[in-house]
Amino acid sequence: MQPENFYYDNKIVRNFGIATVIWGIIGMTVGLIVAIQLYHPGMNMGNQYTTYGRIRPLHTNAVIFAFVGNAIFMGVYYSLQRLLKARMFSDVLSKIHFWVWQLIIVSAVITLPLGLTTSHEYAELEWPIDIAITLIWVVFGINMFGTIFKRRERHLYVAIWFYIATFVTIAVLHIVNSFELPVSAWKSYYVYAGVQDALVQWWYGHNAVAFFLTTPYLGMMYYFLPKMANRPIYSYKLSILHFWALIFIYIWAGPHHLLYTTLPGWAQSLGVAFSVMLIAPSWGGMINGLLTLRGAWDKVRDDVVLKFMVVGLTAYGMATFEGPMLSLKQVNGIAHFSDWIIAHVHVGALGWNGFLTFAILYWLIPRIYKTELFSKKLASFHFWIGTLGILFYAIPMYWAGFTQSLMLKEFTPEGMLKYPNFLETTLQILPMHMMRSAGGAMYLLGVIVMAYNLAKTMLKGSLVANEAAQAMPLAPVHTIAKEAAWHRRLERRPIQLMIAALLVILIGTFVELMPTLTISSNIPTIASVKPYTPLELQGRDLYIREGCSNCHSQTVRPFRSETERYGEYSKAGEFVYDHPFLWGSKRTGPDLAREGGKYGDAWHYNHLMDPRLMSPGSIMPNYDWLLSQTLDTSLTAGKINAMRKLGVPYALGYEKIANHDLDMQAKKISDDLAKDHIKVKSNKEVIAIIAYLQRLGTDIKANKTATNN
Amino acid sequence: MFKQFTENISGNQVYLIFSLGIFLVFFIVVTIVLIRIRKQHVDHMSSLPLQDGISSLPNINHYEA
Repeated sequence: MQPENFYYDNKIVRNFGIATVIWGIIGMTVGLIVAIQLYHPGMNMGNQYTTYGRIRPLHTNAVIFAFVGNAIFMGVYYSLQRLLKARMFSDVLSKIHFWVWQLIIVSAVITLPLGLTTSHEYAELEWPIDIAITLIWVVFGINMFGTIFKRRERHLYVAIWFYIATFVTIAVLHIVNSFELPVSAWKSYYVYAGVQDALVQWWYGHNAVAFFLTTPYLGMMYYFLPKMANRPIYSYKLSILHFWALIFIYIWAGPHHLLYTTLPGWAQSLGVAFSVMLIAPSWGGMINGLLTLRGAWDKVRDDVVLKFMVVGLTAYGMATFEGPMLSLKQVNGIAHFSDWIIAHVHVGALGWNGFLTFAILYWLIPRIYKTELFSKKLASFHFWIGTLGILFYAIPMYWAGFTQSLMLKEFTPEGMLKYPNFLETTLQILPMHMMRSAGGAMYLLGVIVMAYNLAKTMLKGSLVANEAAQAMPLAPVHTIAKEAAWHRRLERRPIQLMIAALLVILIGTFVELMPTLTISSNIPTIASVKPYTPLELQGRDLYIREGCSNCHSQTVRPFRSETERYGEYSKAGEFVYDHPFLWGSKRTGPDLAREGGKYGDAWHYNHLMDPRLMSPGSIMPNYDWLLSQTLDTSLTAGKINAMRKLGVPYALGYEKIANHDLDMQAKKISDDLAKDHIKVKSNKEVIAIIAYLQRLGTDIKANKTATNN
Repeated sequence: MFKQFTENISGNQVYLIFSLGIFLVFFIVVTIVLIRIRKQHVDHMSSLPLQDGISSLPNINHYEA
């Protein structure tokens, strides 16, 4: 047999690399803006398109899917070709993948500030974009498997298994979490409601962390770290154990995001148990990475790329130690809804994803440009400012999280809440938030310096668009001896490997989701809980549009400190008409689950116009446009129809008179406001949102004895 | 300390034991597989990232499939 000559496609790798850097800077800049908004409401810039509730999702989507997403494709397209000794399957598919992915990101940059959102965290994009994501994921899959099929290396290296698991699991997660009923071109309702919706969302949310931020990066670690250190991975056997254990256990852990909520207790316990186990494979992987550098630690002193890798892996170890700890109910009771969680995710995002990405960029760009890095000094500066940035970010946020949580839970000796006003606890932690944004700014500065350094490197060298390579073609399968170990056979059968990975993640998915989705006794209903009126439904959609759930939760946990502050703890039956659920995951402001009737309509009107009128020092942005914008009622009938299709018991034909009812209720509220000398037309958006806020949590007050089941 | 955590987990102990059982079975199966892998194969697999097949032929800027 003769060796075959072929070429690796470096241009697509370069393109994804440039996109990584550009979107990284954009996503982190938006992050810095939202961080400043949390102590300086003026940074909301006085218009609806740049308020916190709308651009916080832009920050998360940009850093996860644009920065990390492009970095994944850069790493996969580089390593896959070389591990398989083959060019990517199709240059056309590679290009389609690249450009459509950028287009999807641009569509997010446009739609999220416009308030077009589903409200599911990290899945905010509306249904047309969801479809585009599905299609482009298929393109990526065809391109990846096409390359695998025409490979010149029989056995698939462990990095490729991680890529395959990423591909198949993200597909399952995205599809299951995108079951939405469209109402119009840019509005849809999730088919799940309340507790079920929450479970699906956090099964998705947690595994987006697992299979978008973790598994592809572990695959990249297993390829790039041996290249960078010029020695094989410490233990290949450990990497196999790491792979199977990680994908098996991760998928179960989602319910730890819903501890102390109305999710059935058994599902919470299951989530906790598997979260604790998760430390074993996570640390196995980290140790495998760090031990690869055994005997090469002297290189770490001089090589900035290895420095980034070591800090990145250490951050991974810290985040994955903290995760299981946070899932213990006692710890979670303090940490959940607080800044502690923000610190936790940023140790992972800035340390693990960020630093690994930077290491790969610094290693890869000079190689495909056949030159040296422009400035090692600047790269070293980036490393130090980035590391300090992480510390300045995380430590104040831990501090803020502990402080605020403990203040919220503190009672006086007489048994009263020591800080009955939520705002007092917010003002206490503002200095920490200022320090956090300084840490974020340092980190961003490092990335900008990297962009300059890499651009100079590119200008210095010239891109090797197609790198010549040579390998022996694969011998026909019948000529190789029968292999005894079945795992070894699996390593050369990509489709079987994909199916095995799929089965492994489906076990946890089914055990966890199916009982809550199918057995009605898991969600006890409450007779007095009725569907929203048309005006409240419209108000609820405005609440979603403005992203209120980014700062306000809607679930009271069964703690005395919460029932004293907010009222009776939440019941599963209260959320059965909530498509989607709006429990939130962070309390920057107080919980709103029992907001209805707490204040008068006039209070809400003034508070939305300028929160500081009613709560001096508040950091909530002004929502003055709600006062002037007219409520769009053209979709009311469509919304009622959609809700009925999803099982909300609106009477047949109600959609025809819904707008009449809406007008009546709106008129009542504007009349009520007029008594307080507030002149506002009843067709303004503010009326709808007041109607919704006044309804929140009031149903079970109406008839406390009418519970069944 | 651990007793405190297990007793505080509401619902049923069965889930704890069930999940521990699944984990153990899974772990044992993977361990058996690992023990059966031959060293020769392990060495081959772990050397894959270090051989990227770069040839001495000239690189090109325009590629036609």
